[in-house]
Amino acid sequence: MKIVVAIKQVPERDAQVRIDAAGKWIEESDLQYALNESDAYALEEALQLKEKHSGEVIVVSAGPERVGTTIREALAKGADRAIHIGCDDLGARDALGVARLLAAAIKPENPDLVLTGLQSEDLGLGQTGVIVAELLGLPHATLILHVERTETGVTVKRELEEGWFQTIELPTPAVLTIQSGGNKLRYATLMGIKRAKTKEVRRLTAAELAVDAAPVVLLEQVTLPQKQKSTQILPGTAKEAAAALVEKLKFEVRVL
Amino acid sequence: MTLLSATLAEPQHFSLFEKLLFAGLAIASGCGFWRRFGKILDKILQSKKDPSFHLFPIGKRIGDFVWEVLFQAKVIRERPLPGLAHAFVFWAFCTFVLVTLNHCAVVLGLGFLNPAGQFARFYFYFAAAFALTCAAGILGLFVRRFLVRPKWLGEKLSYQSGVIALLIFVLMATYLASFFVSDATPAARALWWLHTLALLAFLPLIPHTKHLHLVLSPATVFLSRGTFSQIPPLSGDEDFGLVAGTDLTQLVSLQAWSCVECGRCTEHCPAANTGKLLNPKEIVLGLRGYLNEYGPSSEQPLLGKYNAQEAVFQCTTCGACEFQCPVGIEHVPILVGLRRGAVNTGLWEDQHGAKLFLALERGSNALGLSPTDRDKFIQRMELPLFDGTQEYCLWLGCMGGYDPKGREIVLAFTRVMSYLGTSYGVLRKEKCTGDPVRRLGNDLLFQQLAEANLEALAQNKVKKIVSICPHCVRTIQEDWKEYSTPPEIEHHSEFLARYAHRLPKQASPNPTSPETIVFHDPCYLGRYRNVYDEPRTVAALAGELVEAPRSRERSFCCGAGGGLAFLGEETGERVSHNRAQELAATGAQTIAAACPFCNTMFRDALAATGEGVPQLMDIAQLAARGLPQSGSS
Amino acid sequence: MSGILVVVEQRAGRIGRISWEAVAAGQRLGAQLGLPVSAAIVGSQTESLASEIATRPLSKVVRVEHPLLAQYTADGFALALQQFIQAEQPDYIVFPHTYQVRDYAPALAARLGQVLIGDVVAVGDGPVFTRQLLQGRLNGNYRPTGSGPCFVSVQAGAFRAEPLEENAAAAQATTPATITTFTPTLDPAQIRARPSEPYRGSSQTVDLGSAQLIVGVGRGIKDAESIPMVEELATALGAELAASRPICDNGWLPMERQVGSSGQTVSPKLYLAVGISGAIQHLVGMKGSQCVVAINKDPDAPIFEIADYGIVGDLFEVVPALTAAVKAAKQ
Repeated sequence: MKIVVAIKQVPERDAQVRIDAAGKWIEESDLQYALNESDAYALEEALQLKEKHSGEVIVVSAGPERVGTTIREALAKGADRAIHIGCDDLGARDALGVARLLAAAIKPENPDLVLTGLQSEDLGLGQTGVIVAELLGLPHATLILHVERTETGVTVKRELEEGWFQTIELPTPAVLTIQSGGNKLRYATLMGIKRAKTKEVRRLTAAELAVDAAPVVLLEQVTLPQKQKSTQILPGTAKEAAAALVEKLKFEVRVL
Repeated sequence: MTLLSATLAEPQHFSLFEKLLFAGLAIASGCGFWRRFGKILDKILQSKKDPSFHLFPIGKRIGDFVWEVLFQAKVIRERPLPGLAHAFVFWAFCTFVLVTLNHCAVVLGLGFLNPAGQFARFYFYFAAAFALTCAAGILGLFVRRFLVRPKWLGEKLSYQSGVIALLIFVLMATYLASFFVSDATPAARALWWLHTLALLAFLPLIPHTKHLHLVLSPATVFLSRGTFSQIPPLSGDEDFGLVAGTDLTQLVSLQAWSCVECGRCTEHCPAANTGKLLNPKEIVLGLRGYLNEYGPSSEQPLLGKYNAQEAVFQCTTCGACEFQCPVGIEHVPILVGLRRGAVNTGLWEDQHGAKLFLALERGSNALGLSPTDRDKFIQRMELPLFDGTQEYCLWLGCMGGYDPKGREIVLAFTRVMSYLGTSYGVLRKEKCTGDPVRRLGNDLLFQQLAEANLEALAQNKVKKIVSICPHCVRTIQEDWKEYSTPPEIEHHSEFLARYAHRLPKQASPNPTSPETIVFHDPCYLGRYRNVYDEPRTVAALAGELVEAPRSRERSFCCGAGGGLAFLGEETGERVSHNRAQELAATGAQTIAAACPFCNTMFRDALAATGEGVPQLMDIAQLAARGLPQSGSS
Repeated sequence: MSGILVVVEQRAGRIGRISWEAVAAGQRLGAQLGLPVSAAIVGSQTESLASEIATRPLSKVVRVEHPLLAQYTADGFALALQQFIQAEQPDYIVFPHTYQVRDYAPALAARLGQVLIGDVVAVGDGPVFTRQLLQGRLNGNYRPTGSGPCFVSVQAGAFRAEPLEENAAAAQATTPATITTFTPTLDPAQIRARPSEPYRGSSQTVDLGSAQLIVGVGRGIKDAESIPMVEELATALGAELAASRPICDNGWLPMERQVGSSGQTVSPKLYLAVGISGAIQHLVGMKGSQCVVAINKDPDAPIFEIADYGIVGDLFEVVPALTAAVKAAKQ
């Protein structure tokens, strides 16, 4: 099976959030980066499929120079080769623009499956995989926990709301967006890192791919949410505090 | 003939037939010995060289050799009675070198020790004294092994031990009996031949049994790695630890064949004592079995037929095994090496282990918590930040930075430092020292953490560090050396002990029954660092010390080390419960700890025990308690 | 025809609250921009559902109707709505942000050269749509720049459906909205995926890892007899019951309910910690929770450091009071 996994390098979780001078994104100078969590699960699913059915796993990622570290991490975990789409203005492109880059790089590979994570930890749009499917003209399914190969394509387990699930049969080639938690992730090993040194990382530039980059939706400003995360102690008698908590659960946490 | 005038009988004339018989038997015996020993020596020499082995400085090696081999100090100290018996046997062997050479020379007419001569007379009596003690010793050891049957020697009776004991006894008995016969008698000749046959039977048995240690263990002790529990660096791109036979180094092979099967390692092992699969003796013997069957050039996995992965990952790296071993086997590097082989190649699939590794791959601490938690703690408690001007950098570590109890220990220590007027600061950012991943064998992660931390320390111009956690201290001081020279570091017990005279001694509320305190020696402070008295000095400020049955270098692990604090449920009895019960049974009112991991393990264990348990405090908290205006946290 | 189109979602023959919230959001937008608001429901045999929607103040309700839409598929819904949107030409299309919408709306938008602005929590002048970034630590304002329909989906609970319900009674007095039907052209060959009927996850094993609501009980509970009291609260909330290690060690709850370093790691939307002090071994298991509520009688308990809301009190009083309040709220 030839599987392409689209991965994204995102700021590490729990990073300090400070808005940059332009007010359009966060200050990046002090940030550490890591592989997006659901992309790690996508990669894991791909590697398990390769181990079962033999084949090739190719990771694709778009972004600046620093994305190379995450790509190497994916190679260390077992991907066979990588494509790095060098792009310094990823933030200025909308989901469609980014998907166009990825689709253009993936198309010549003609994979059996394209896997992406469900959504990224920074923007959290959850759309890139679906749009890539649309651009490549391939069937897709989202929120996938498990993939199995069949004679005609794949059978996947999809997560629905409130503890329900669904099985879907799709023909290949297809695009799947993978939900976190479906597998146990493997850790990076010394052996993996050493082997990764000899694996191919093909560099493409965004310019080379010549896709339309003008955004139809613009992120024009970022702000810090008013509510600071500090503990609100609800006062009063047991009954009063309980009532206050129910209010919070209903309207702020929105679980009632 | 009186005893003092008795001389050793030596048959004077041997017939040609006897000479030829002797020569034949001697050659056969020698071949028997060499056939087996040569093969073993070959395998040891064929093993990979130890790249980090340095013969110099040789002073310590000679010192260890004299103390442990010649004086049999460890053998005696750790198991006095059997140890002494063994020492007598060993000393007899040493003494008998000359005797035996002469004995064999006699048949060829080349005897050089004339029994009537002054030197020989003296020497033969000298040897007789040792022969007596040796005979008594070997008899005692025989009784112990075959009649008393202590658990640590194993379930199966070792017949080879019985045979060897018999031969040794015969050797000593025939020697002593030779004082009571005259030279020219048939009795003397018979004794001579009996002694010779026993000798020649013994020789080939040596390499075929665990008595190989006779030849190897002096070398093993002499050639040890140098530091206690020293984990060797990996060499080259293809070295992932102990994966297959080709990874076994000469030192490891030598150690595998030196095992005497005494079981002292297993006797003190926390895992073996709580019903786990791990048995340190079996680990070493497993390697020996592997080498016997496959040899050092085999690609067969080491964790397979002879050793189980499950057992290897039950080790807390407490070092009790290595500390006890009388023949110089270094168990901890072997176990960590086997773990490396499994982890560095991704063969180890463990849910909790993977979680720990993933947490450190992405984040800064072993607990997987947000570093802002630590930032908030520093801000809230207004801890000074290290800016290069203070004397000490206070290393918080994962427990000190994130665990509520660990933080209490840190705060208590800072109160004492402030009282003493010592300047200190904490680093803005810390990553885990990498201790758990180091002991679990993940060299990739360990290197990343060590190098990142070393760079941060250099950038911050840190010269001296003090830490509340013995694991951090060990890792920073010893394990980081592999990458560059770390700053000086000491444990807070060493710091506090130095200033104990300036700290208020606490008056007991009830002078007739002072507060009793039992100190638990952490593995990484005691056996690893040789620090036993300093924390006691500090604890003594707060009350009267009592000792647990297993204390100081015999201290029983709390169960957290070796990365096990981060792995899942144990099988069998919980190590921490075993130790907590022992500490509580001393009747002490307070258990004093000096390690945040010990603290957390005992807290859980004591909570499970129920009411009426001793209170648990770190020595820093005990010291701080006596400070003026110190309130409880 | 310009205006706001709200796409209403049905599940098992019912319209979920989030769809009503989407309608409310659509009406807010409509009021802001002075545009009429209509609704569409995609499926097969949706007459009664359409009538229900039509009781709201909307200019019209359209049934996008086709037998091939009886079961949800991304291909089916995207194709059907694409045709409808091309016919209707709405300016804004508002969706509820559900798993289903996330599955097809991005493809639909892309097909029309647009990008969905998803999971919106607020609408501002412009219009400018606010959504959360960095897992709630940052807000971002998005503005559509192109011409062509703007696709927006709204987060559950961001726009209250309640005021709408208050007006529903009043609205019902007026005439219901007109209901029309739009039949798209669909071919079975165009629907490439074959979904099964939804099924429930296995109920034997406790899967705390995927639970959205969890009530955790700790040593403050004192004995096994008091566990049912907490269980009642969990049931009322629709939450799973979990525990810290000592509770499981004592056998008061099975080991599989243990949350912590030697148990399960959970990341629910709500973690309600009852009588849990907050020792690190437990914290590492639930630190990923989006909202932590703590009930403990010790104001210095470490759990309060990571809690969003806390009640310092006797859990034997607070828990029953809370159970009653939750039950009342759910009626």
